[in-house]
Amino acid sequence: MAVLEISQLKKTYPGGELALKGVDVSVEAQEVVVLLGLSGSGKSTLLRCVNRLVEPDSGTIVLDGVDITAQDKRTLRRTRCSMGMIFQEFNLIDRLTVLENVLSGTLGTTSTLRGIFRAFRQEDIQRALALCERVGIIDHIRKRADQLSGGQRQRVGIARALMQYPKILLVDEPTSALDPKIGREVMDLLTEVARELKIPMLVSVHDIFLAKNYSDRIVGLQGGEKIFDQETRSIETEELDQIYHEAG
Amino acid sequence: MTAITDQAFLSYRDDERRAGIIKFVVTLLFIGFGFWSVEFLNIPIERLLGMFGRLGYMISENLFPPEMSYVMEQRVLDSIIETIQMSILGATIGTLITLPLAWFAAWNVTPSRAFLYPLARGIIVITRGMPTLMWAMVLVAIFGFGPFAGMLALVKETIGFAGKLMAESVESIDMKRVEAIRATGANDFDILFFAVIPQVWANWIGIIIYNWDAQLRNSTILGFVGAGGMGLYLREQISILEYHTAMAIIVVIIGLVVLSETVSHYLRRRLY
Amino acid sequence: MTDMVVTGNPLRDPKKIARKYFAVALFAVLVIYIADTIIIEGTDWERMGSLEEVVKTMLFFLPDFSFFPQTVVPLLETVLIAFWGTALAVVFSMPIAYLAARNITPLPWLTYPLGRCMIVLSRSTHEIIFALIYISALGLGPLPGILALASRSLGFMAKTTSEAIENVKKGPIEAMEAVGANRTTIFFFGVMPQIFPIFVGNAIFQLDINIRRASILGLVGGGGIGLMFAEVMQNLQYDRAGMIVVGITAMVVFGEFVSNRVRQRLV
Repeated sequence: MAVLEISQLKKTYPGGELALKGVDVSVEAQEVVVLLGLSGSGKSTLLRCVNRLVEPDSGTIVLDGVDITAQDKRTLRRTRCSMGMIFQEFNLIDRLTVLENVLSGTLGTTSTLRGIFRAFRQEDIQRALALCERVGIIDHIRKRADQLSGGQRQRVGIARALMQYPKILLVDEPTSALDPKIGREVMDLLTEVARELKIPMLVSVHDIFLAKNYSDRIVGLQGGEKIFDQETRSIETEELDQIYHEAG
Repeated sequence: MTAITDQAFLSYRDDERRAGIIKFVVTLLFIGFGFWSVEFLNIPIERLLGMFGRLGYMISENLFPPEMSYVMEQRVLDSIIETIQMSILGATIGTLITLPLAWFAAWNVTPSRAFLYPLARGIIVITRGMPTLMWAMVLVAIFGFGPFAGMLALVKETIGFAGKLMAESVESIDMKRVEAIRATGANDFDILFFAVIPQVWANWIGIIIYNWDAQLRNSTILGFVGAGGMGLYLREQISILEYHTAMAIIVVIIGLVVLSETVSHYLRRRLY
Repeated sequence: MTDMVVTGNPLRDPKKIARKYFAVALFAVLVIYIADTIIIEGTDWERMGSLEEVVKTMLFFLPDFSFFPQTVVPLLETVLIAFWGTALAVVFSMPIAYLAARNITPLPWLTYPLGRCMIVLSRSTHEIIFALIYISALGLGPLPGILALASRSLGFMAKTTSEAIENVKKGPIEAMEAVGANRTTIFFFGVMPQIFPIFVGNAIFQLDINIRRASILGLVGGGGIGLMFAEVMQNLQYDRAGMIVVGITAMVVFGEFVSNRVRQRLV
């Protein structure tokens, strides 16, 4: 059974810009699905619709057999706790320490009072440290987030998402703000950890080679529409090129 | 869980404990400081408790509604006009004095770093530090009651307020243009007129208008110490416990300030 | 050369220049008129006497430095009044900033204008007026002085803080929404660290200004050094008054120096 089942998702922004014109995507257990497309193709909007950071106009999103499209705010927050998100610009809180940033992944499940005073549970701290070690930033836990390099910051972002015990990882252009070598390291780490922890991923990417190397399946998006959906093994590079050529 | 994680956890927990102790001590010291302050300032705590009731009574019974007809009396109207006049004259004369001072007090183009710079800086710093109302009292003692003393107080205030801002704006100019003109063998005056003023002019105009706005605020209360303007009537009415009329003057003061802010905002937008 | 002077700069609209000169001339006439009313008609030059006498009065204000020890306690009082006034303003400015920040205000049509209104009221009322209101309700002493400074600083603190909240980086907030945090947690964990340096910088700035404000509150009965100043002025002890002015100026200048240093560090 699919972990995530998106069907007929539509979104028009208030300006009248049509971002998604009825897209179907599904993610199976332990599968890495890449959303491939140019900027403006609707990748980011699609990802943000999954945890409803962007509210879709119509269509359904089913996570683990539960339809989350109609959930009220409180229930939605609980659902979000089980979806880890990793961002293009890392979205760390610059002035807090690396460890505090990682621990912020638990904020959905800790009490408000603990959140305000940054008083986290001992077992959460232990787990956060273990994750820091796993993603390779254990030496920097006391530093402020803005003192790290781009690659290190994205590792913090990954650890934060993993803190949530996510059922799925939503990853938005994880390497666009990094140089190519660092970007590949981050993608290696991300796919490794996902496999280890058996977490499926939905990753948006605009680079064909990253898409081919790190995915089980590729979904091509163009102008808010799905133009193909295929197992990565069976795709020829030329087929992928069409996304870019036709768009141009 | 690996050894590295364990070690990091232990050292992190130590850090947290230490930070906790420091926070606790600082909080204690702060509370102690609070108690000491109450003691030192002789603050009557028991009066603090009844404060809101009395304040509420004061505002609802004594201050509202303000008796606006009082403001319509000729002598009060005159004092309001005098207030505005004082602010304009004080700000203008003050600005005329400030213009050369700002030039002297800008480290990058000052004509004399050894003598004029420290002199001008000193004047600006001291005029800034001196509270206006006290200075006004001194001036009243010297020159007698009336708007002349108030006007001089505003001149002093302008030097401190506009002087600092204007000198800072000169210090942030593009020095390349200064050097280009200096390379032609120009003297300090040429540099001032051809390299400095063209760069800071727009900024200075903004500061001059903003300063007038600030001086109008100041001039509304100068009368309190007899230095001209409507503040005199505020003091008079309060000293005879006529709160409704005093409130009317306060309303006019707030109105004037809001008005001057609007005018200054409008002028600055138009002139830029 | 002469040709250019005659024709002027062709890039400038001569009408505009004429209008500018007209405005300047109008302003000059206005200033001269005011100068005439204030300096010539509004001043009692007879009473002031000759220049010699004026200078003589001025010389009375030469500070009497032996008076300094007696000013120490009131000066300290003044600093304390400023400190606690600022502290109160810091605490109470937060809820107002919350109301007046367009992006987080709970009921935009009601609470936003309410917050803004409080800010304008606080910023456009002189501390002396606040002091008078509090004194008439609470009696003389440092307490109404502290409250007056708090009321005065409140607006500035709330205004700058709400602007900082409006300019907060959106990314981290989005990330916190994505982990399922609620609004309160997002505010304290995501917004507060971002506005903290601006907030502390402004609080220090206000403390510095409040020292200057606190020194005059005593003139209307609000405690501190101003009270002593009013007394010595009434007793015509001008040399002591001179000493007090020097003392306050030194304290304020020192305070401003320290505050600038600390704020530079902070950024």
